Amino acid sequence: MTALTSHLKLLEAESIHIFREAASQFRKPVLLYSIGKDSTVLLHLARKAFWPAKLPFPLLHVDTTWKFREMIAFRDRAVKDFGLDLIVHTNHDGLARDMNPFDHPPSVYTDIMKTQALRQALDTGGFDAAFGGARRDEEASRAKERVFSFRAAGHRWDPRLQRPEMWQLLNGRLAMGETVRVFPLSNWTEADVWRYITLEKLDVVPLYFAAERPVVERDGQFIMVDDERMRLKPGETPQTRKVRFRTLGCYPLTAAIESEASDLDAIVTETLEARVSERAGRLIDHDQDGAMEMKKREGYF
Amino acid sequence: MTVAAIEETETKSPAPVGSPDAKSEAMVRLLTCGSVDDGKSTLIGRLLWDAAGVTDDQRAAIMHASHKRAVNGESIDFSLLLDGLQAEREQGITIDIAWRYFETERRRFVIIDSPGHEQYTRNMATGASHADVAILLVDARHGVKRQTRRHAAICNLVGIKKVIVAVNKMDQIDWSEERYRAIENDFMSLAANFSFTEITTIPVAALTGANVVASAAEMPWHSGPTLLEYLEGVDPKTESADAPFRMPVQLVLRASDDFRGYAGTVTSGEIKVGDRVVDARSGLSANLTRISTMDGDLETAKKGDAVTLVLDTDIDISRGAVLSEVKRRPVNADVIEARLVWLSEKSFDPEAGYLLRTATDLTPVTSMSVSALIDFETLASAQAHDCGVNDIADCRILLGRATALDLFRDLPLTGNFVLINAIDGATVAGGVITWVQTGASAVGENVLVLDRARLAGLCADLGQSEVDRAEFERRAQEVAILLRSAGVPVLIETDR
Repeated sequence: MTALTSHLKLLEAESIHIFREAASQFRKPVLLYSIGKDSTVLLHLARKAFWPAKLPFPLLHVDTTWKFREMIAFRDRAVKDFGLDLIVHTNHDGLARDMNPFDHPPSVYTDIMKTQALRQALDTGGFDAAFGGARRDEEASRAKERVFSFRAAGHRWDPRLQRPEMWQLLNGRLAMGETVRVFPLSNWTEADVWRYITLEKLDVVPLYFAAERPVVERDGQFIMVDDERMRLKPGETPQTRKVRFRTLGCYPLTAAIESEASDLDAIVTETLEARVSERAGRLIDHDQDGAMEMKKREGYF
Repeated sequence: MTVAAIEETETKSPAPVGSPDAKSEAMVRLLTCGSVDDGKSTLIGRLLWDAAGVTDDQRAAIMHASHKRAVNGESIDFSLLLDGLQAEREQGITIDIAWRYFETERRRFVIIDSPGHEQYTRNMATGASHADVAILLVDARHGVKRQTRRHAAICNLVGIKKVIVAVNKMDQIDWSEERYRAIENDFMSLAANFSFTEITTIPVAALTGANVVASAAEMPWHSGPTLLEYLEGVDPKTESADAPFRMPVQLVLRASDDFRGYAGTVTSGEIKVGDRVVDARSGLSANLTRISTMDGDLETAKKGDAVTLVLDTDIDISRGAVLSEVKRRPVNADVIEARLVWLSEKSFDPEAGYLLRTATDLTPVTSMSVSALIDFETLASAQAHDCGVNDIADCRILLGRATALDLFRDLPLTGNFVLINAIDGATVAGGVITWVQTGASAVGENVLVLDRARLAGLCADLGQSEVDRAEFERRAQEVAILLRSAGVPVLIETDR
């Protein structure tokens, strides 16, 4: 038996409820799996929701080809360990045009390799609902989102026209062309996620733990040199620092923090004492005001 | 989040929660509501700011944006912590609810900040339905307004029992106790219309922080708690310990080894292995043999637990059924009376097609009529037959088939519903059941059933694919609208 606190048990039960409602009401759901800590919790909760039956939907990973190597290794191991049905999608059209995070601004690169790629994958698969690990505590526009977040044709989110969502009642009736993003972790905080991972003894990508890693310092942030494709600016030489990541994305666009937290307990403590919010390390969020909302309107998770 | 700012105010001994060192595990879900410009977002921004639920980079961003806007002169614009949408920031208003999570040393909170504009009442109702406690803001200069009364009525409708009336902008009326008492009395007399069990009034000034976290030297006459002191001490639970067992079935799980279990979340009461459970719709009962979870079998399951129940005999039930204890069952009802808040821009139309979404069931509505509306000046009910956006109405609904229901005042989670537009799927109203009846004569022989056989000619081009079934449903709904307008009660039967 697990020794979850009553608060985490409540969050867990709520997420399971959401998974079961979505699986019952939508024709063809898919779980957006992005390999990070939130996806790890999401997948674990999905397995609990349908156990002992198998997951009634596949997983989808949108691979930009710029993820940390350790993330891909972790993903492939999870697929094997849990016998998962995983779809990996890359925007090959974008690749052919050599879209990379060095030659293009983060907003353009993200739009093509993540947002457009996601839309391609959802349309190709004919999915009417996609589970995501977004939490309302992550960012100001996410704090506004419903659990069943409806998207008009073309995956557009209109924050002014969100469907009312009262009590525990989740209305999954779709109009023609509508699809839904489902967020079972809506009410979790970053600290909840880490406490849950600790108590449930879940494996996470080792990049979350502090270790000596090769990094360069850019505008006060540490960027890891994960492979030979990393382009160094004049005068930059990789140095070894003890760092870890609070959030994982494409390696050239995800900053590490200096940290001594090398186990889960230390991470929980560090998270509770953090003076900076989680997504501060995501370079793609900050290139303009309201950047996340704009990406979401276009169909980004 | 750190709690440094709390420690600074520690000398004022907030109300204790259990033992003094124990952090209360129960999260308080807190709604802020009230009329537009009464200062909701500013109050909550101030609460977060002072109670240290704000990180350094967020602080820096808010300082930066405040100077850019300079709405409040040179001071910090706390509302920017909540209004996360670009349109909200540009217009300086709240459009949709924002969820903010924070912890103090004593408590976990989620704050649900709701919009004050009448136009966005549907979002406020969404927020209210998720809250245990509501802060209703009143501007000390203007007192209780029509929109304040509407919000109080919605809080009452969705089942909130504890309300804090925060009389804000006290700094603007020279901290006048006389004015504050007048507003307090005004609210207390209107609250006689509601079933709140606890009403606490607090004089505050969100802009200066008076009585938000620290108590205010300017108002020595206020002997009650500050806002944070009250929130750290309040008990969010309301349900009685002896509630009857209910579990609406979400789905049936099948696996190898003949495993067949009913998956759902217990909405009230408790059940243990060996107990007898009944499906109120069919009246069939069985013994509970297993409570199954991925972490191993359980002996008991109680309210809030998401579990899978295995029974000793197959009673052939599916999604929509409510498993309950044998003695105190829900009513298998096909006529209900309800109070609802209308959320859609499209007014109620007796000829349109609606569906009733209860815990896990979706039932077609054969007919519906409005009997009364709440008057937001007097809070009295007045006879009416129409109902439009933001109205609170009493109505009577006839269902196409019976479903298991409770009264909301007894068991909220099996006594609430949303009403859905059958054509576009929109949620048009949220309501609570006030009266139920079973076996009504109005439903039955004189109802025309529209199914594939009856609409064979109209739908000859349709097959059995998902798309075709959806199209069948759409056409059937359109036919139903025509028939209802000619006075024929209609029921649509789909195999979805």
